[in-house]
Amino acid sequence: MHGLLGENGAGKSTLLNILSAVLSASEGQIIIDGEPVSLAQPADARAAGIAMIHQELQHIPALSVAQNMFLGRPLTQAGGLLVDRGSQEQRARQVLADLDPSIDPRAPIHTLKVAQQQIVEIARALFDDARIITMDEPTSSLTPSEFESLAALIARLAARGVSIIYVSHKMDEVFRVCQRATILRDGRYIDTVDLSEVSEDQVISRMVGRDIMQEGHVSHARPEVVMRVEGLDDGRLIREASFELHRGEVLGIAGLVGSGRTELLRLIAGIDRVRQGRVVLNGNPVDLRSPRHAIRSGIGLVPEERKKDGIVRDRSVASNIALPCMGRFTRHGLVRRKALRAEATPLMKKMGMRPPDVTRAIGTFSGGNQQKAIIGRWLAADVDILLFDEPTRGIDIGAKAEIYALIEALAKSGKSIVVVSSELPEIIRLSDRVMVMREGRIAATLAGAEIAEDAIAANAIPKSRRPDKIPAQPIEALS
Amino acid sequence: MNKTLTASPSRRLPINLRDAGTLFGLVLIFAVFAALNPVFLTGPNLINILQQSAINACIALGMTFVIISGGIDLSVGPTAAVSVIVGATLMIAGVPIPLAVVAAIATGMACGLFNGTLVAIAGLQPFIVTLGALSLYRALALIFTGGNPIFGIPTEFRQAINSLVLGVPVPVIIVAVIAAVLWVVLNRSPLGEYILAVGGNQEAARIAGVPVARTRITVYVLSGGLAAVAGLILTGRLGAADPTMGNLWELDAIAAAAIGGASLMGGKGSVIGTLMGAVILGGLRNGLTLMNVQAFYQLLATGIIILVAMLIDRATRGKA
Repeated sequence: MHGLLGENGAGKSTLLNILSAVLSASEGQIIIDGEPVSLAQPADARAAGIAMIHQELQHIPALSVAQNMFLGRPLTQAGGLLVDRGSQEQRARQVLADLDPSIDPRAPIHTLKVAQQQIVEIARALFDDARIITMDEPTSSLTPSEFESLAALIARLAARGVSIIYVSHKMDEVFRVCQRATILRDGRYIDTVDLSEVSEDQVISRMVGRDIMQEGHVSHARPEVVMRVEGLDDGRLIREASFELHRGEVLGIAGLVGSGRTELLRLIAGIDRVRQGRVVLNGNPVDLRSPRHAIRSGIGLVPEERKKDGIVRDRSVASNIALPCMGRFTRHGLVRRKALRAEATPLMKKMGMRPPDVTRAIGTFSGGNQQKAIIGRWLAADVDILLFDEPTRGIDIGAKAEIYALIEALAKSGKSIVVVSSELPEIIRLSDRVMVMREGRIAATLAGAEIAEDAIAANAIPKSRRPDKIPAQPIEALS
Repeated sequence: MNKTLTASPSRRLPINLRDAGTLFGLVLIFAVFAALNPVFLTGPNLINILQQSAINACIALGMTFVIISGGIDLSVGPTAAVSVIVGATLMIAGVPIPLAVVAAIATGMACGLFNGTLVAIAGLQPFIVTLGALSLYRALALIFTGGNPIFGIPTEFRQAINSLVLGVPVPVIIVAVIAAVLWVVLNRSPLGEYILAVGGNQEAARIAGVPVARTRITVYVLSGGLAAVAGLILTGRLGAADPTMGNLWELDAIAAAAIGGASLMGGKGSVIGTLMGAVILGGLRNGLTLMNVQAFYQLLATGIIILVAMLIDRATRGKA
């Protein structure tokens, strides 16, 4: 069992994609059992015995477990004309019996828990007699108890002679699951270590390359309350969220995936429908009917999924920046492109955008530069409140430090900031206060010395799902 | 991804690369016909081609805006029919011609408003909305007229449409003026930025504060208004308002827009490209007619040109 370690953007997923032939390598070769193999297309990788479990599970939600397992290579009857559902379900049940017998092969896959969906993917890989299974951040949506079951399952697969490449940036998991690990940084091979011989800190310092997390935190928060969120409720997940935000403050929001962090930000930004409650900014209630209204009041969101919610790929950086405040760059009904360029260029230069050409399509820039442009958008629109959702996701390490510096500079200049992040070091590094969300509610608010990984984790994990209370069935089924 | 392969991205060309490609296709087709038939490249015939392309160009310009915004308008033909029937009825009833023209265009815009509201507010799919509207508006036109054309269009109106200004037919001038205005709207106005943003990434545009619903409705209103203008031009040329007018106009318009570089996925399109697309289709028909090619083969040629144009488009843009 081999770990593959590296920060976001280090090239872990890219490497796995090359292994499973989703992407092709421009150089180098892959050797399996002493034989070089050529992997031109995903089917080759499958034939070579390599299977990939993706970070985002790949299946068709409405189809059943068995249908998903046989997707693209159905068992047939009547001379290949008809799908033999009966045999498919039977075989699926056989394989699943080993892994998690509680999964019904006929159930639509979207009705399963994420952890179970993952098991289905693993079962699918076993069908192919996969000898090498690669797992890309398999625990990103799992609870701690589900991770325990996964770890047990992995041990069991290894006992069968299956090799596993386990990708994660979570140290404790890799140390739990793997014997050896390879460290990548900025797309380069750094080192392969025997995990019994090194400490977590040694691995981390090689992963990161420099100590970006260690800088001391300086608060720029002022006493004045800028924004008050009062009993915000979306009727689905978010329940009576109330908090205050001070001028110049950076408020971190931590919590598990699905705890409602993104949803809360979207409510405040006017993106999703608010059922109850309100947001008061500088003493005036904010109209949350649409993002346009929220922006006018002075609230801007830097979304998590940049490609989907952030950028218009084919438009220039300048156009992307100007979208919220087009009126400011318009005279006599026409866009003043020169004025726009004259404002956007120094703005992006100051943020360290490379190359600083705002007339280029934003899609041609790296993730970090795109993120800077989105932040630049809200500076141009001069909002008071910036909401960041996973501000450094998919951004390389260098740009990450720049984004941190930028957020700090914004706070210093009197902007008020909310940061949602799944990376605890990031939250701890940036925040003056940390709000922990759990199942749609604000479970705790930590300040000053209370801000620490264990305190955040203790409040983030739902009580009923804490590992000491749940006897995870799959473990028993396996032993 | 493949953008990195494009050379010198910072240099701005006077005409963008895609339009240059369309121009090349246009020149190629015209060169072939000029070689095959001496009449093709004469002044009168070129004017003729522009005249014949004007109606499709007018429709296609509206279609281009709808397509860039990420939608489609299948109802342009029936919208034109309903609009000219309103206009013709008013003209015959003695309403001043300019007023009747305004009423016709307003009718077209109202049809567009109806489509746009169903798309942007009710959240229905553009294809289905305008497919339904296609039947609906056609039915209204047929029911109102009993299926008969309205004759007796005032001579002044017919003369205005059929006259020449400096040797150029009035319809060509009308469409040229419209195209110039629309070029400015698309490339220089906030609305143009919004349309391109909404078509490029609707959710990102919404989060960035773009008035998405208003933008989407506007393009359908524009398309409806231009359908009415196209209908009025045809009415002036025929001297009658026909309730069956505009059958399959939507297909020619979509073809012209697509040849001109509009992406049916939204976010891309060009006013100049669409004009050239319309002229390519018009020139093709004109040239084949000059060579006495049977109408069935003309249809065949049109189909081939559209598909070849799309294959070239795909190949030059890369696979992303």
